[in-house]
Amino acid sequence: MPRPMGRWLIIGIAASCLLGVSNRRARAGPNAPSDLPPSEQSLAIVVNTSNPVDNLSMSELRKVFLGERRHWPNGRRITLVMMEPGQPERKALIREVCQMNESDFSQHFLHGVFTGEVFVSPKTLASPVGVRKFVFNVPGAIGYVRATDVDSSVKVLRVDGRLPDDKEYGLRIPPAPAQ
Amino acid sequence: MIEPDNNAAPAPVQPRDRVLGVFSRYPSALLLLVVFSVEVGVGMFVIRDVRTASVEAQQMYARSVLGLRQIGELQYQAQETRRSTLYALTTNDSNLQVEYADQSREADRRVTDGIAEYLKQAQMPNEIEVGRGLQRDWSAYLKVRDEVLASILEGSIKEAVDMDLNGGVPSFERVRQDLEEIKRLYDQQASDQLARVGASSRRSTVRLVGVVCFTLIFATFSVWAIQRSRMLGAVQLARLQMEFVTSISHELRTPLAVIRSAAENIADGVVGGKEQLARYGSVIRNQSRQITDLVNEILLFASTRNKKNRYTLRSLQVSEIIDLAIENTAELVREAGFVVEQRVEPGLPSIIGDLSALSQCVQNLIGNAIKYSGQTRWICIHAGLDEAKIPGHREIQISVQDRGIGIDKSELPHIFEPFYRSPAVSAAQIHGTGLGLPLAQNIAEAMNGKLTVESKLGIGSTFTLHLPVAKQKQPPAAAGARGRDVVAQK
Repeated sequence: MPRPMGRWLIIGIAASCLLGVSNRRARAGPNAPSDLPPSEQSLAIVVNTSNPVDNLSMSELRKVFLGERRHWPNGRRITLVMMEPGQPERKALIREVCQMNESDFSQHFLHGVFTGEVFVSPKTLASPVGVRKFVFNVPGAIGYVRATDVDSSVKVLRVDGRLPDDKEYGLRIPPAPAQ
Repeated sequence: MIEPDNNAAPAPVQPRDRVLGVFSRYPSALLLLVVFSVEVGVGMFVIRDVRTASVEAQQMYARSVLGLRQIGELQYQAQETRRSTLYALTTNDSNLQVEYADQSREADRRVTDGIAEYLKQAQMPNEIEVGRGLQRDWSAYLKVRDEVLASILEGSIKEAVDMDLNGGVPSFERVRQDLEEIKRLYDQQASDQLARVGASSRRSTVRLVGVVCFTLIFATFSVWAIQRSRMLGAVQLARLQMEFVTSISHELRTPLAVIRSAAENIADGVVGGKEQLARYGSVIRNQSRQITDLVNEILLFASTRNKKNRYTLRSLQVSEIIDLAIENTAELVREAGFVVEQRVEPGLPSIIGDLSALSQCVQNLIGNAIKYSGQTRWICIHAGLDEAKIPGHREIQISVQDRGIGIDKSELPHIFEPFYRSPAVSAAQIHGTGLGLPLAQNIAEAMNGKLTVESKLGIGSTFTLHLPVAKQKQPPAAAGARGRDVVAQK
């Protein structure tokens, strides 16, 4: 039988977890899918509001994020915006879109730039706010953030015709592994 | 000869004459009142002028100084917009570049708001034109700035620098020139305002000096006028007193001469027999009574003048006053051979007053009527009730009317002045002290009443004693019910 102090510690941790979950639900914006498991969120692909593109297929998106496509249809140069390595959003994008892991992705760009097969070198930003502001300032930028971090300064692209709210939307951030 | 209307009430003194009378009585007070009024007017005028200058100065501060501060802030924020953009060139860190872009956009928002505020406040056409030009040039610069920022964030530094040199620098230079032009406009407006405030200040000074000079001149003139008025008054008083002394001496000399002559005759044994002695005694008594009456009149006037007289006030019937006055003047009337017509309206209310004093007042009026009646030996005493315009303020009017020589219009304002005697009367050798009417007026005013006159030269005069009706209700006197009772005495 646990001692009284240990019992109170367990109750406190459980209450904190519950409170954290409820706060994340409260922060979820209109783009947050309502029927997702609490720990799983959509990954929104965002571009500048002046970008004429509204929809990309998964294969087109892969080409863009692997630097194999250089310009948008309006002639604007594509600028990739990535978050720093280790971020769940980056991991989700590399895995779901590029179908690689971090090292393969880095190697792809090193090799591509060296051989000239890759035209675009990604910019790295520390926070979702930075990504959003970068995309807002650069007409040809494309980046990704959690669906809950989206605001009106950027435009969310459909992927295979689906928005992050849709059930069949393909880009999800998996829950963080238990410590 | 015009027949007098015995039933008509005497008309009041004209307002112009009343104003002239008041002015002649209190010239110093009236002049001081005028000086005070002018000073108050001048003070208000100066205060208004100073206030106007203060408001103009405040407006100048608000428009020019605050405007210049606003333009200074606009210049700073415009520089900040450009400076933050250029800072983004100095780093390869995308996070820092985004931060600089943010700062640039924040500064540009403040500039845009400042320009909108300036346009809202602009009133002159040139201000609006320059403001719109600034708005246009600022928008053009922001377009270039956005492209430069995009290039910097994309990593195209050379492209960004080229774009800034080719497009950003010229467009920012136009913005700078626009801001300088606005500043120049503000400088010009400030200079204009300063000139206006200076002119207003000079104008105020000139006005103030003018007003002070005017006040000084006016005050000096007023003092001079007051002094002159007093001096003339003193001279007039001295002249009147001298005339009074002469007149009194003359009045005293005749009876004294008669008394002296009678006494000498008695002493010299000229008078013989008891009957003749009695006649001389009667002459001496009459002459000495005349002297006594004269002295009494002077003393009475002096006492009313110094407000020393103590009256015994009680409720009086009008008939009592008239009867006593007629009784006291009966001998005089009889000797002069006058007919006294008495018209007392029935049922007159009582008044509050001193019987002896009021009787003296009426006696003076009767005496004057006898003295100045000329050949027409007729006097009418009329008593009636006048319903005043103000409810509850009724008055009894006792008028003494004659068909004598009358008074010239120019003499009317002076006849109530002590010792005053008309030159025409003096020339006609009609004796008097000049105290009868002032004495009657003093008595009337002491009884809360007044004495008025209506006169036409050659036709006659009507003096009216106005006395307020007593507040408490008094039963009408039986004696007062003898309406249109005519008493003839010869």
